[in-house]
Amino acid sequence: MNFLKRAWLNVWAKKGRSVLLILVSSAILMFVLAGLLIRSAAVKATDQAKADVGATVTLSANRQAAFKKVQSSSSSSKSSRPKMTLTPVKLSDAAKIAKLSNVKSENVTSSTSVNASSYDVVSTTSGMGSSQGGPGNMKGGTSSGDTQINGVSATSLTTAFSDNQSKITKGRGITSADKNTNHVVIEKNLASQNDLTVGDTITVKKTTGSKAKVKLKIVGIYRASATASSSAGPMSSDPSNTMYTSYTLANTFKGSKYAGTADSVTFNVSNPAKVSSVKAAGKKLINTSSYSLSTDDASYQTVKASMSNVESFANKIVWLVAIAGTIILALIVILMIRERRFEIGVLLSLGEARWKIVAQFFTEMLMVIVVAVAIAGAGGKFVGDQLGSQLVAQSTTTQTTSSSTSTQPGGGQPGGGGMRGGNGGPGMQQASSTKAADTDLDISVSAVSLAELGGFGLAITFLSIMIASGGILRLEPKKVLIS
Amino acid sequence: MLKTQNLGYWYQDKSQPLFQDLNLTFDEGQSYAILGHSGTGKTTFLSLIAGLDKPKSGDIWLGDRSLKQIGLTNYRRHDVSIVFQAYNLFTYMSPLNNLLTAMAITGAEHAGDKFFARRTLNSLGIGEDLVERNVQHLSGGQQQRVAIARAMACDAPLVVADEPTGNLDEDNTQEVIDQFQQLAHQQHKCVIIVTHEPDVAARCDHQFRLENKQFTQLA
Repeated sequence: MNFLKRAWLNVWAKKGRSVLLILVSSAILMFVLAGLLIRSAAVKATDQAKADVGATVTLSANRQAAFKKVQSSSSSSKSSRPKMTLTPVKLSDAAKIAKLSNVKSENVTSSTSVNASSYDVVSTTSGMGSSQGGPGNMKGGTSSGDTQINGVSATSLTTAFSDNQSKITKGRGITSADKNTNHVVIEKNLASQNDLTVGDTITVKKTTGSKAKVKLKIVGIYRASATASSSAGPMSSDPSNTMYTSYTLANTFKGSKYAGTADSVTFNVSNPAKVSSVKAAGKKLINTSSYSLSTDDASYQTVKASMSNVESFANKIVWLVAIAGTIILALIVILMIRERRFEIGVLLSLGEARWKIVAQFFTEMLMVIVVAVAIAGAGGKFVGDQLGSQLVAQSTTTQTTSSSTSTQPGGGQPGGGGMRGGNGGPGMQQASSTKAADTDLDISVSAVSLAELGGFGLAITFLSIMIASGGILRLEPKKVLIS
Repeated sequence: MLKTQNLGYWYQDKSQPLFQDLNLTFDEGQSYAILGHSGTGKTTFLSLIAGLDKPKSGDIWLGDRSLKQIGLTNYRRHDVSIVFQAYNLFTYMSPLNNLLTAMAITGAEHAGDKFFARRTLNSLGIGEDLVERNVQHLSGGQQQRVAIARAMACDAPLVVADEPTGNLDEDNTQEVIDQFQQLAHQQHKCVIIVTHEPDVAARCDHQFRLENKQFTQLA
């Protein structure tokens, strides 16, 4: 093991050369570490995106099939042409899909409208006049009223609330416990205009059947986002006139034949990568001529594509720097070995084994690399942070641009109005773009990345010594020492 | 102790050998000088008996084993110590570490290695103030004495030296030759010195001249 001592004596005696080697190796390893950190952060971010962004599969009436049916009708007269009828989703079908693996939760939505009885609706005054009068005949199977009723399983499962576009400010939101109750969550402006608060009761009038009055108990007050107000079209009711109830109550307003049905059911998929398989399995459980299953994993795909670009670029950095580093170090070691030919000759004349001489050089480089790994570990995070944020900014901008280009206006789900949770609509697309843009790389130097860097350092050292030691193996001591 | 048997060497042209059919015997406890003009092949002869090169014809025997049987690396490690004209010390080490390294590589075992190395260096005039100084800070004569001390510390039965006094002044030359003589006579080594200086050769027990591809023993 004398070669270890020789290596140490050499590194220590030639401090200047050792420091230079440490600096060169540190620079190489710093870039390797930056690449490794960005790569692992990108993988982590993609995994996190799966959990955070999520993806959904929505079961709703098959609007396209219904439209085709109307078109194929033989009658050409406008008055006798049959109306497009959409079959409400059966909750029994939804229950079957909910049992599929990878389905985390489901949100039933059933929307309708009612007329205000014990309160005044909020009216919006604009250049186009008052919008009071309701959203028009926009909801399948329902008559218009001045108050929009969004029946849900739970408000927290709706996009508006999960994306923080709407927020509960008092009381609580609708939960599955509110099923078959008259509980309601109203908008803040509507509440303040009518001096209503949590615990108060309001009365609404059905727009269908007996047009009976129904008493509703306020359990929560929410604040709709400013965007929601401004995004409402001229034909829409003011967003403040939207109330959230359990879907069972919304079905009651629609009429007895709507019991056990919904406009749509949105299934949250635990692993966004499995969206397609959930959709395929779900299709086997439903009558596809009446119902359709649509997927929405745009957010996940945006983040995934963005992170894939970053990961791929980071991979290239790692390998390019590693290869370039090996070549640079090999050249340095070759030069170093050439100037130590006499030393090698003396060692050979003393009967030292050639492999031990190679081992001495390897040990010397290893000592240098160990220090370089420590320096790179300290500096790699800084380089990784800078490089990573540049990459993400560039990649996210590209992805957001392509995402908004592909967004089609009016992409709401069939069978209901644009207010029903916005599944697949422009609002949702906007939300996903925002989420993708918010994705940042959590670049941190972990023990694993340092170990990986150590591995790269070891490999670079080994390869460069192997390349350079060809000369040692061929060296004849007589030529060095006697000639 | 060391015998050459029909030893021959040539570079490219076999018909023009440096020497051929050399049959020489070198005994332990004796010192030998090999004289000759430049280019006669004396250094090549030394590289053959030092195990740094292989003969083109014939063989070299150490006791009852040929170098082919021993293997050149093993031979260099255990059986021969070489002293070079240019000293060829490890320049990044002290005299002490030079000796300890050589002892570790050759497997020379001495009770209290460090103490032995210091004593050897001291006996050759490398005082305590110099033993841990970098060898590059020593004079030529001191470096050559370190090289001789290294050869002594390795404890090989054969010591070969290539122009060991070539870079030394008169005083240092005499001291170095004294050391070689002590190696031969007190430590019973076989010392073979290649030199072109007749004064140095005259101090050795035996002198050979390499001339016209043959060795001639001088009276």
